[in-house]
Amino acid sequence: MVDRFLEGWSVYKESLIGKIGLTLLVIFALMALCSFFPPMIDPMYHPMTGVDPQISHSASPSWRHWLGTDFIGRDILCQLLAGARIAFMVGISAAFMSILLGTTVGMIAGYSGKIVDTLLMRLADMIMVMPTLLVVLILSSLFGQLNIWTIVLLIALFRWPGVSRVIRAQTLSLKERPFIEAAKVTGASHFRIIFRHIMPNVLPLSLLYMTFRVTSAIIIEAALAFLGFGDPSTVSWGMMLQWVWKTGHMFQAPYWLLPPGICISLLTLSFYMLGRAMEEVLDPRLRKEVAQE
Amino acid sequence: MALLTVKNLSVGYHTRKGFLKSVQGISFALDQGKSLGFVGESGCGKTTIGMALMGLLPDNASVTNGEILFEDQDLLKMSKKEIQQIRWKKIAMIFQAAMNALNPVHRVSDQIAEAILAHDADISKKTAMKQVESLFQLVGIPPDRMNDYPHHYSGGMKQRAIIAMALACHPSLIIADEPTTALDVIVQDQILSAIKDFRNKLKISVIFISHDIAVVADVCDTIGIMFAGQLVEYGRIEDVFYSPMHPYTQSLLSSYLTLNKDVVQLNAYLGKTPDLINPTTGCLFCERCTVAEATCSLRAPEWVKISPTHKALCSRCK
Amino acid sequence: MEIQKFVLKRLIEIFVIFFVILTVLFLLFRLAPGDPVTRMVDPTMTPEDAAYLIAQLGLDQPVWLQYIYYLKNFFTGNFGISFHYGVAVFSIILNRLPNTILLFSTSILLSAFAGIFLGKIASWHKGEKIDTWMTLGALICHTLFLPWLALIMIWIFGFHIGWFPLNGMISPEIWLDSSSGFWLKFLDVAHHMVLPLATLFLIHFGSYLLLMRSSMLDTLKEDYILTARAKGLDEKVIRNHHAAPNAALPVVTSVGISLAFSLSGGALTETVFSWPGIGRELVFAVSNSDYPLAQASFLLIATVVLISNLVVDVLYAYLDPRIKY
Repeated sequence: MVDRFLEGWSVYKESLIGKIGLTLLVIFALMALCSFFPPMIDPMYHPMTGVDPQISHSASPSWRHWLGTDFIGRDILCQLLAGARIAFMVGISAAFMSILLGTTVGMIAGYSGKIVDTLLMRLADMIMVMPTLLVVLILSSLFGQLNIWTIVLLIALFRWPGVSRVIRAQTLSLKERPFIEAAKVTGASHFRIIFRHIMPNVLPLSLLYMTFRVTSAIIIEAALAFLGFGDPSTVSWGMMLQWVWKTGHMFQAPYWLLPPGICISLLTLSFYMLGRAMEEVLDPRLRKEVAQE
Repeated sequence: MALLTVKNLSVGYHTRKGFLKSVQGISFALDQGKSLGFVGESGCGKTTIGMALMGLLPDNASVTNGEILFEDQDLLKMSKKEIQQIRWKKIAMIFQAAMNALNPVHRVSDQIAEAILAHDADISKKTAMKQVESLFQLVGIPPDRMNDYPHHYSGGMKQRAIIAMALACHPSLIIADEPTTALDVIVQDQILSAIKDFRNKLKISVIFISHDIAVVADVCDTIGIMFAGQLVEYGRIEDVFYSPMHPYTQSLLSSYLTLNKDVVQLNAYLGKTPDLINPTTGCLFCERCTVAEATCSLRAPEWVKISPTHKALCSRCK
Repeated sequence: MEIQKFVLKRLIEIFVIFFVILTVLFLLFRLAPGDPVTRMVDPTMTPEDAAYLIAQLGLDQPVWLQYIYYLKNFFTGNFGISFHYGVAVFSIILNRLPNTILLFSTSILLSAFAGIFLGKIASWHKGEKIDTWMTLGALICHTLFLPWLALIMIWIFGFHIGWFPLNGMISPEIWLDSSSGFWLKFLDVAHHMVLPLATLFLIHFGSYLLLMRSSMLDTLKEDYILTARAKGLDEKVIRNHHAAPNAALPVVTSVGISLAFSLSGGALTETVFSWPGIGRELVFAVSNSDYPLAQASFLLIATVVLISNLVVDVLYAYLDPRIKY
């Protein structure tokens, strides 16, 4: 296991895209970690409740506030840092949950075949057709304001079908391999076969898809927050954009308008690059070092 | 005057591990209406020769030496445009049926007509289609299948369509690269008859590339045995078949089980392909040769003329 | 004919899926906290109107009967009365549908064509500067956050440079003036459409470009391309006539797969640009707790996704002769 990882790492290192992506991710991760510090230095830097006694409107960047303030005088940079934290949290949790669900469903569908497979895949198809953002919207109209964890759960519930299809295909091909036959002959239960034998082999693929899921989860949460349906007690980048838009500051406050959008885009880009580089690791055909015949 | 004269052709590929010498110093000549076969195992360079003749070598290949004189013009010195004009009109190619040689999204008739129209500016689409129809009749495909797509054809039909396409511009030379591989024996036989047909009736020269010596013997007048990028034996079919001189040729021929003879001991002629990136100075076949001498691995062998129409590259056959 | 059978089969499937969605929505409606009646019927209505509506929608009946009413109403186009607008929901969404279709289909077509065309060019010049720039540009556009890009577009082109209107689909002055000819109205809509269209285009064309580029590179390695070269055809003909039609197929598939995502994007765009489409209506309805309108908008969007999927599948079957139904 460990040397497979190390081998993968050496291939990954060669990819320029992978290195850039990883660097960006590290920067954002640092941002997320740093988000805890400013409020400790001075309560006015708190992203939600921090109010500067001297400024109560949107002000341009200054030494006190490196990126300026929002419409009620809160520090934008702190909001940005907090947003990084939320983005990672939402992205990774939603992605993790959808991968968990998708992998399990995919393995069960691929392994069981016939009716179970058909039913599960039909379900996957139906869910895949739905625009996730709009589904969460209609649900929020029924159930009221959603809190951040509900949003994460809903995103996971609607994003698993994509993964399950791929895992199912992988399981189908693994199912025919001799080592599965051997396990069956030695009396292993289906449960054991799935989780002990098939799962380790599909795991790399799952991880790859997780990186793609993170980006879509972040974007959906940001879009929801932007439209005003996010969790009002969390400061996310989408929420920041909503404030800029709704308070009519979008034309006068570029220091407020630009940073959140740039962050969302860059974070998405870095996960995408990470995913692409990982693809090269997992699929040898994509590597540049293929010898010519 | 020979239709095609190849002198000392050497081709190699640039790979990560070094420069792979795929074809080394090949020389041969072919007259109009005659057929020549190249036989060898995979990796011996026979396909590379075919590609070099058509100018279809991939980007990482280089011709390091030699001349290809076709109708007295050196193909290697021609411009891209000149080559494009010669392709198909003078020299055409038949690929393996198993290959995806026909474009899946275009009709077969359109693809053949395309070849005709590309080389004849005056012809109308209607006339071209009529020609396609007669080509189909020539190769034995029912004309009502003309407008089908390639995936509707069976393997044998696809191969015939590919032959029809090769004949479309009435070329002087056709290079057939493994045309019967991956086809069942009955279809194989039909395809070989078709090839012999157009060789005889239309007086088209054929270069037949295969790993199957029996198939080549059926169709060709002259045969060249290839190993590790070199020609190791060359001569008329009767000469090479009945008196093989090179140890490799001998093992190729004796590897065949025949129904009417006793079981002959199979010569295990399988072995490693020699290193073509840093080839030895001696004979390349040495490692697998059953009659090798000490000097064989030190000194490169020279051509030994066994008869005016038969030669072999071996120090041992004198 | 084969294709007709396929379409029929798919329409039945769509119907089934739709039925399931309807049912799930109904169940959620019943399960949600609060009084279902006040959710569907505006409390500020007069008691007589309210009673009439309740009877029509069957809200005073037992649950299973309600379900029957719900289905019947749905298929007869009775979606209730919008709280916000005070008129039948049906008339509202009918009015909004064409606007969404106009923006949505134009943006998809444009970005698909551009992606295919530019991806083809990028693959021709693989490794050169133009390819690097195109790939980089596509990558950046692909990862931009749509609402943010929309705001930037309005800010720069609408506000600063002032070439385009800041929002809306029409200029009321032109449309209210009875002397305005068709062309004037057409140009007016087009003028308003430029920014939202550009936003959607930028977000989507990137992925199509990248996909087409890698698809072309794969296709160029195929055997039939070797045949085409052997036939002595010009490189341009080989790329455009032989390689590109094959390479474009995965892109068409991708358009189909990403339709749901494209519609979400469409809804966001409509909201930011105040383009009067169903997407925007859904967002507004949810903000205003106008459930009848929200429900109908959502269902209509779901229908659009399903039908678009079918259209893409039929198109693909038309383009790829290997597909047999």
